[in-house]
Amino acid sequence: MVREVAESCVESLMAEIVSSYCKGVYANKPELAAPRIEAIGFQVGHRLSERYTMDRPRFTDHLEAIKFICKDFWSDLFKKQIDNLKTNHRGTFVLQDNRFRWLAHMSVDPSLVTSGSIQDPSAMAENEAAQATGLHLYFPCGIIRGALSNLGIPCAVSADISNLPACSFVVRIKV
Amino acid sequence: MANTACFMIVSKNDIPIYEAEVGTVPKKEDAAHQHQFILHAALDIVQDMAWTTSAMFLKAIDRFNDLVVSVYIKVIHTRLMLLHDSRNDDGIKSFFQEVHELYIKTLLNPLYLPGSRITSSHFDTKVRALARKYL
Repeated sequence: MVREVAESCVESLMAEIVSSYCKGVYANKPELAAPRIEAIGFQVGHRLSERYTMDRPRFTDHLEAIKFICKDFWSDLFKKQIDNLKTNHRGTFVLQDNRFRWLAHMSVDPSLVTSGSIQDPSAMAENEAAQATGLHLYFPCGIIRGALSNLGIPCAVSADISNLPACSFVVRIKV
Repeated sequence: MANTACFMIVSKNDIPIYEAEVGTVPKKEDAAHQHQFILHAALDIVQDMAWTTSAMFLKAIDRFNDLVVSVYIKVIHTRLMLLHDSRNDDGIKSFFQEVHELYIKTLLNPLYLPGSRITSSHFDTKVRALARKYL
């Protein structure tokens, strides 16, 4: 018997985690919220990867583990696979997802752009959007980092949102 | 079934997070210490073998007197090690798989820090029951 939860609950929980950490817990020091959210994601990723690698044999090298993350892990979490994987064969991987599920329903209100600025308003709007959604990507970065560290690969993960709803995760493996 | 067995779960940094004597034969005090010593000595061999094979279950990697060490490796960090003197390979494999599931359930507990000692008596009871069943 598998218990199921509505996906909207998961998305609302993600949004609320970000907003409560940024405005509630760390209201005076918002830059501390990001590592905290990432640490939560790390623990979650660690446990998820234990569960999903239960029946399969261990991975022989880094590329195999990354491919597991791109295919099975991502499809278990987000019901789709990573759309594009790039590597420079020197320890850096770029995982690109063309429609990231947790960000797909987010929109940025253009009226939040303050009037009276000299800069180009569309650039300002993009900047605001990038900042707001950037916070929501710390949790998935933490999940990827936790999953990889459980597979024996210490790494650093960062997210890049140049064009929504596509986003890419850059994984740098520490040698 | 009379056999001696010592079961240990070793985490990252070679710290044992769980150990149990699951034999049915009453043992002397120093034999228990010897069992732990043998299992620790086998860790180096486990490390070497882990790189050569991608299978999870390594049977009979080390012998000492009559006792054989078998190891079940999960994702490089955590190793389930068993010191035993019987030749019951299938039973041991099933035992390892069941303990693996138990361990994952322990890990899913958000209050459990991965790598710390497993102190739950429920886990302990279940492992001993499984040992009686499979070994």
